[in-house]
Amino acid sequence: MRDAPKSALTRRGVLAGSTLLAAPAILIGAKAKAAETFILGTWGGDYQRLQMENIEMPIARAQGIESVIDAGDEAPRAAKIMASRRLPRGQMDVACVQAVQAYALAEAGALEEITPAKVPNIVHCQDGLATATFVPHIWSPQILSYSPERVKTPPTSFEDLLDPKYKGRVGFPDANFFYVMMAAGLFAGGSASNFEKAKEIVSKLNTNELRLYPSTDSAGPPFKTGELDVGVMWLARIAMWQNAGIPVAASFPKEGCILYVSGMVVPKNAPNKEAAFKYLNAMLEPAAQLGFAKNMGYLPTVTNAKLTGKVAEQLALPTPPPKLVVPDAAVNSKALPEIADWWKKTIQHT
Amino acid sequence: MMKRSDTLAASSFLGPATCVVMLVLIAPLVLLARYSLNRFDPTELMIEATTGANYARFFSEAFYWEVMRTTIQVALLVTALCLLLGLPLAWRLSRMTSRWKSPLLLLIILPLFVSSTVRTVGWMILFAKSGVMDTTAATLFGRHIDLMFTPTAVVIGTLSVNLPFMVLTLQTVFDGIDHRLSEAASGLGAPPARAFLRIIWPLALPGVGIAAILCFILGMNAYATPVLLGGPRFQMMAPLLFWEFNTNSNWPFSAALAFILMGTTLLLTTLANTVIPRRYRA
Repeated sequence: MRDAPKSALTRRGVLAGSTLLAAPAILIGAKAKAAETFILGTWGGDYQRLQMENIEMPIARAQGIESVIDAGDEAPRAAKIMASRRLPRGQMDVACVQAVQAYALAEAGALEEITPAKVPNIVHCQDGLATATFVPHIWSPQILSYSPERVKTPPTSFEDLLDPKYKGRVGFPDANFFYVMMAAGLFAGGSASNFEKAKEIVSKLNTNELRLYPSTDSAGPPFKTGELDVGVMWLARIAMWQNAGIPVAASFPKEGCILYVSGMVVPKNAPNKEAAFKYLNAMLEPAAQLGFAKNMGYLPTVTNAKLTGKVAEQLALPTPPPKLVVPDAAVNSKALPEIADWWKKTIQHT
Repeated sequence: MMKRSDTLAASSFLGPATCVVMLVLIAPLVLLARYSLNRFDPTELMIEATTGANYARFFSEAFYWEVMRTTIQVALLVTALCLLLGLPLAWRLSRMTSRWKSPLLLLIILPLFVSSTVRTVGWMILFAKSGVMDTTAATLFGRHIDLMFTPTAVVIGTLSVNLPFMVLTLQTVFDGIDHRLSEAASGLGAPPARAFLRIIWPLALPGVGIAAILCFILGMNAYATPVLLGGPRFQMMAPLLFWEFNTNSNWPFSAALAFILMGTTLLLTTLANTVIPRRYRA
C-alpha cells in the first residue's frame, strides 16, 4: 500500500495565504483610517465631478480629508440643514449653496461663522462676495446671450429682448427665473429688487412668445438648431456651450449684470468642522479656482488666481467694465416664495 | 373552519410583511399628513400647527383646479389609448402558439429594463427641432414638425411608458381564459366577433379594469415625462408638487398636494370600478 501523499496545506502556509488575501482589505482599511471623512452636500453632475478633480483629489486628500458625497438639489439640502438645526449633531459638514440661500440659513442661525483663523484663504476673497458665514466658490455675471450667426446687432439691454423681431426666438432655462426677474427689475426699475417693475417687463416678454426650457443644458442647443436668437444666461454657460461647438455669444447689458454667486457654508452642528474648514480652504486655493474657470467657465472668487490664455479671453469682462450687481440676499430671500408663485401662475401658465 | 393554530401560523407568516408595509408606507404617510396641516414660513420652513389652509388654498384657486383637470385628462387619454393599442396586441400574443411568442413578449418587456427618464430623453431627441422627426418630415413633406413641449409629446411619452404594463396585464388575463370557450361558441355558430364580445370580453372585464386602473394611476403620477417633454409651461400635479417642495421648500403645501392627488386618484379608481357591472367585478 502506497503512503498517502503528504498534504501541502500546512499551518504556516494557511497563515501566510490568509495574510496575503487580507492584505488589500488591511491596506484600504489603514488608508480609510488615515483619511478623515466629512459629509459634503453638493449638486451632482459636472459640479461634483470638478470638485473631486480640482479640490479633493489634488489638494484636500493630501491634507488627510476625504468627502462622503450627499448629492442633490439646493432647496432640499437647505431644508435638511433647517430641519436638523436644533439637533446636537447635524447631517452635513459642508453644504454648497447660492448666496441667497446662505443668507436665509444664516438668518435662521443655522450656520457657523467663518473667520481667517478657521479658513486662512478667505482673506483673498473678492470684496462683497463673502459674508460672515458664506465662503464664495464661483461667480459669473448674467449676460444677454445671442446667436452671432443670425443676430447681426447684439442686444445691449434687457429691453432688446422685447423687440417683436425676436418673437418666439427668445428663451432661457425656467430654473433661472428669479435671476431673470432681477435683471428685468434692474432694467425697468433701476434696482434688482424692484420686482413690481420686473413683473411688468417679464409679462411683456412673455407675450413675445418667450421660450422656457426645463433644464440649463437644454437651453444651449436651440441656438444651434435655430430655435433661439437671444436669451439670458450666465457668462460661464456661454463659455461651456462655445467649447461644445454651439454658436452663441455674450453681450453685457448696459444697465448692469446680476451676479450669480455660489459658495459653501458650514452648519453650526456639523459633525466634523475641522475637516470642513480644511475643505473650504482647499476650495479657495488658486489652482482649484483656476480648474473651475477652465472647465466650467466660472470666475475665481479669490484675487490671487489669475486667468490666462483662452479662458481669460472667453471670460474677460469688457472695457469699460460693466456694472456688476450683487443681489440683495436679505430682500430676495423674503421675496422668493411670492415671486415663484407669481411666475408659476402668470408666466408659465399661459 | 380554520383552526386556531392555522390562524396563528398564517399571522406569523403575514406579520413581517405587514410590519414592513407599516414602517415604509404607512408611517411616512402619517408623517406627511401631519406636515400637510402645518404652516409654511420662508425662514422657519415649517411651523407646527393644525390648519386646513393648505387644502383650502388648493380648492380656492382656479389655477390648481386647472392643473388637476389637465392631469386627469392626460391620464384618461393615455389609459384609453393604451386600451386601444394594448387590447389587440395582448389578445394576439395570448393566442399565439408559434415560437415567436417568447421573443415578442421580451420585446414588450424590454423597454421596462430602461428607466422612463432615459426613454423620455430618447423621445426628446426624436421630437426636438431639427431632431429625427422634424428632419424627416421636412425632407419628405417639406413641413416642419415641432412636437417638443406640447401636450401631444406628453401623451405619446406617457403612452410609451404605460403601454407595456397594459399589454402584460391583459395578456395574463387572456391567458387565463380557456381557449375552448371561444371554440365552443364558434361550434355553436357564433362568429368570432360575437364570440369575443359575449364570451371572452365579460370574462376579461375584471382584468381589463385592473389594467386600466394601473395605467390610469401611472398617468396621474407621471413626473419625468411631463417635465421633459411638456416643458415648464405644461403643468401636471406631480411636477407642481415637486416645484412647491423643491423651489419653494413649502413642505406643508406640497404634502397637502400629495394627499389631494392621492385622494383624487383613489376616488376616480373607485368610481371606475362601479362602471364595471357588479357580476363581472374582480
